[in-house]
Amino acid sequence: MEETIRRSGKSDSESSGSWWRRRSPRSGSCVLAAFVFSAVLCLAGTLLVVIVAGRLLSGLTERWGDDASTPWLADSATLTVAVSPAMRETFDGLIAEFNGLEKDTPDGNTMRVQTVTLTPQEMVDQSVGTPPFQALAPDSSLWLDQLERRWAALQDVHQATDEEIVIPLGNRRVNRVVRYATSPIVIAAWEDVARDLGWPAEPVGWREIQAKATEDPSFRWSHPSTSHASGLLATLAEFYAGANLTRGLTEEIATSEETLAYVQAVESTVRFYGEGEDVILERLAAEGKGFLDAFVVQEQLVLRWNRMRPDEHLVALYPTEGTLWADHPLALLALGGGDEPAVTGNQELVFSALAEFLASVEVQDHLLAAGYRPTNLDIALDREGSPFSQTDAVDWRQPKTTLQMPSASVVDVVQHVWWYIKRPTNVYLVVDTSGSMGGDKLRLTKTALHAFVGQIRGDRDQVGLIEFGGEIKSLKPLQPLDDAHRLSLVHHIDTMEANGQTALLDAVWHGYDSLQRRADTEAINALVVMTDGQENASRVRVEQLLSRLKQDTAVDVVVFTIAFGRGADENLLRRIAEAGRGQFRRADETDIEQLYRVISTYF
Amino acid sequence: MNRTRWIFVIIVSVSLLIVGASLLWRSVRSGPAEELTIQRPDTITVRVLTALPVEPWVRAAADQFNGSAPELDGVPLRVEIAGMDGLSALGRWDRNDFGALPAGSDRENLSPEQEATLDRFPTAWIPDSRYLVELANASYKARLGRDVFLTDGQYRARPIAISLFTWGIYQSRAAVLEERFDRISWRTIHDAAVARGGWPELGGDPSWGYFKLVVPNPRKNAGGLAAMIAAAGEYHGSTDIGVEDVTDATFRSWLGELMGAVTDVSSASAYTAEDFALFGYSVGDGGQLLESDLLQNMQGILTRWEDPLVLYYPDYVTWFDFPFTVWMGPETSALEKNAALAFQEHLLSEEQQRRALAYGLRPANPQVSVDAAGESLFVQWADQGVEPVVPRADAMRSPSRDVLLALLRWFELNVVE
Repeated sequence: MEETIRRSGKSDSESSGSWWRRRSPRSGSCVLAAFVFSAVLCLAGTLLVVIVAGRLLSGLTERWGDDASTPWLADSATLTVAVSPAMRETFDGLIAEFNGLEKDTPDGNTMRVQTVTLTPQEMVDQSVGTPPFQALAPDSSLWLDQLERRWAALQDVHQATDEEIVIPLGNRRVNRVVRYATSPIVIAAWEDVARDLGWPAEPVGWREIQAKATEDPSFRWSHPSTSHASGLLATLAEFYAGANLTRGLTEEIATSEETLAYVQAVESTVRFYGEGEDVILERLAAEGKGFLDAFVVQEQLVLRWNRMRPDEHLVALYPTEGTLWADHPLALLALGGGDEPAVTGNQELVFSALAEFLASVEVQDHLLAAGYRPTNLDIALDREGSPFSQTDAVDWRQPKTTLQMPSASVVDVVQHVWWYIKRPTNVYLVVDTSGSMGGDKLRLTKTALHAFVGQIRGDRDQVGLIEFGGEIKSLKPLQPLDDAHRLSLVHHIDTMEANGQTALLDAVWHGYDSLQRRADTEAINALVVMTDGQENASRVRVEQLLSRLKQDTAVDVVVFTIAFGRGADENLLRRIAEAGRGQFRRADETDIEQLYRVISTYF
Repeated sequence: MNRTRWIFVIIVSVSLLIVGASLLWRSVRSGPAEELTIQRPDTITVRVLTALPVEPWVRAAADQFNGSAPELDGVPLRVEIAGMDGLSALGRWDRNDFGALPAGSDRENLSPEQEATLDRFPTAWIPDSRYLVELANASYKARLGRDVFLTDGQYRARPIAISLFTWGIYQSRAAVLEERFDRISWRTIHDAAVARGGWPELGGDPSWGYFKLVVPNPRKNAGGLAAMIAAAGEYHGSTDIGVEDVTDATFRSWLGELMGAVTDVSSASAYTAEDFALFGYSVGDGGQLLESDLLQNMQGILTRWEDPLVLYYPDYVTWFDFPFTVWMGPETSALEKNAALAFQEHLLSEEQQRRALAYGLRPANPQVSVDAAGESLFVQWADQGVEPVVPRADAMRSPSRDVLLALLRWFELNVVE
């Protein structure tokens, strides 16, 4: 061993630390054995690692399928469901309960359900593409029909060469549908307002509401935009009333001058539109009876409100001409065509398990308690303890009739035409571009403003922009949002830069003043104010502004305020919104765009 | 050789030994196992595509069948049910959406990828009516040059239950219609549908609005076309309806007026009778629907709306016989085909046929009468017009593919659009 060392050219001093030089021959053998054993162990370990890694990689490839971009594993047991905002709270509670059951699929995966919140229209838009969800739960089946029509139109383009003898059925985007609750759409009115309209002795219909709105300027009513079932129904009802029909609405009748004039007159009485029923409930809680006299919602909301506030009673009016139903479908999509990822076998099992869970007596009882009509027909609505049996605010024997849902093309016309005859809007976007808005904040704000401008579709709507820092930096006056103004506005937004202090009060004052001076009482007048910081540069004082917002109401101007990020003065923004009869909202980098989109639905 | 070289040689040798042993072990392990999988599967899965009206009963029967741990030639078998409307299934067969192999394909020579595409191929099909099987078979015969569904022999299509189309009308409304028209038929329903003054004109309550007809959406439910064909039969006074009958201008005008009384075809689900029960008289005063669907929802309608349905049997009757049909192509194995037959036998057993009575289905097994079980819906709703023996009537003959297509096109253009 010494020789070896020498031959290797190493000196004693170099090798003096060598652990085997000092060992005896016997101990040398042991050392050799130990070395060999260690080497074998290392090799075996390396091989094991290589094999396991290989198997894992191979397994992953199999599970992910051929397409590496597949957004869920091939054996995924997580079902993602898109849920409408109005049902989100109830649905999320049920989902938490379902996930708590920790059910397993036959291959040992734990069943999970997760939700994303989207408006029904957004669900449809995403479902015809490559949606990030496998199931959807809109408020009404009419959205599923719209989805199928759009899907069929796409398929027609792709399958134009199909033989004509093929039965043109079965190629659907929706694979399975179950319903877990229903609720008719009603006109909710305060009890004294309902009595004033003739309830309960006289039947009340769309005509009575529309007549009241056009005759009594103090009567405030609202319905959601046509992106929601209740808003679409309310609009359809106006077209029917305008045409003096309760069925047989055609495109020709819907677009006749008389019908459009009537609908326009009725729509001009709407205080403002909105994103949905859950927000109406929030506003009722905040503003009480002064918020609205009547509004179009699901029957369930009436029961929910009356349970929360028994002292301020709402009544459900079932329109004599007819209504529609929110039937809360849960639909599994038929994914997997072309390159898109398919719904996995496990996800189908989760859907079935969820459908079974929602149909269970316990869940159906829960939904009844929440004011929905259960789809389990064994459950009587008038049984003891049912919210339907203890009140005259709702009537489970109603509605007696529904409005006829016109053909798809007529519904399209109604949705399209509504944008051009609805109550017009004058809205100023009041935007903070002070120094603190630099970087991502300004970039995201620009995207959000683009989205807002893109959402406003009526060419009678006027949009202006007030950009402020330490002073009002720029002003784009109100102009009809035609193509030229839209382009100009977008360009202006793109050139905004962050600098200076925050003269929030001056900017709000200026916008409010402009709208008051404009004195356009035919339109919805609004300010959408966004800031990320603290007021520090205005000449106008807080009390001065709040006083004006409350007292100078010759023109009804609604003020929406947005606190962007944590640095905003939420208290001040809340007070401005309250004084301006509008809403205060928080936003951060993740949802500022969505918030602007939501607010746009009010106009 | 010095010690270092010995160590090196030992390490290399041991490594080669491990790698060689590993490869040998893998090849020994995988070879025979694959052969075994082909010869004798761990489980036989029978996938049954099932028409919607019989799905609840068939699914319950499958659960019971699976629960009895059935075996075929010593191999455990399991039945899976997938509900699908018969016409939609026909459309999918027509387009070969299930992925039947091209003519001349040999199952044993398929690549693993091709094999995997057959994992979900239906072993058997229970459509609503026999004519759907004939149309699907004709479509494949033209394509493959052979039958895929048989009409005779061991694997022939065999009805597992029977039902027919009847009028179901809310009792309060039915009383007014009987008073006004004496009897319920497509003609009198048409007259009610076109009454300009709605229910007040017919002698009913003004709050009922117009007369509202319930007809299944033909795009989602085979019953929709069946109802329209029955209406054509009564209109023309014939059980054999051809293309010239359904394209007749006066008939189309009459049918258009009739369909104008449907409140919402677009969002109606495939489960029309269930919709009828869920939304009650608000969406429909009455309609012609499958007897079993109506019977299954009679109690729910009474509980929810307090106003029961009354059933009336039409003069021109459309029958659905729900034939259990085994796919005869190479896409499914002989074991799977025989397992499907075992499940068919289970459905036709007296016990299961008696259970069908609780779903409002008439037994296909002649040994079982409609009152053979205490839970028979025919017994429970005898007072509401349900007849154990169908009154003398003319049975509609099966429509041709051309008639189906003509009616579907008319529906798309005149009702949907």
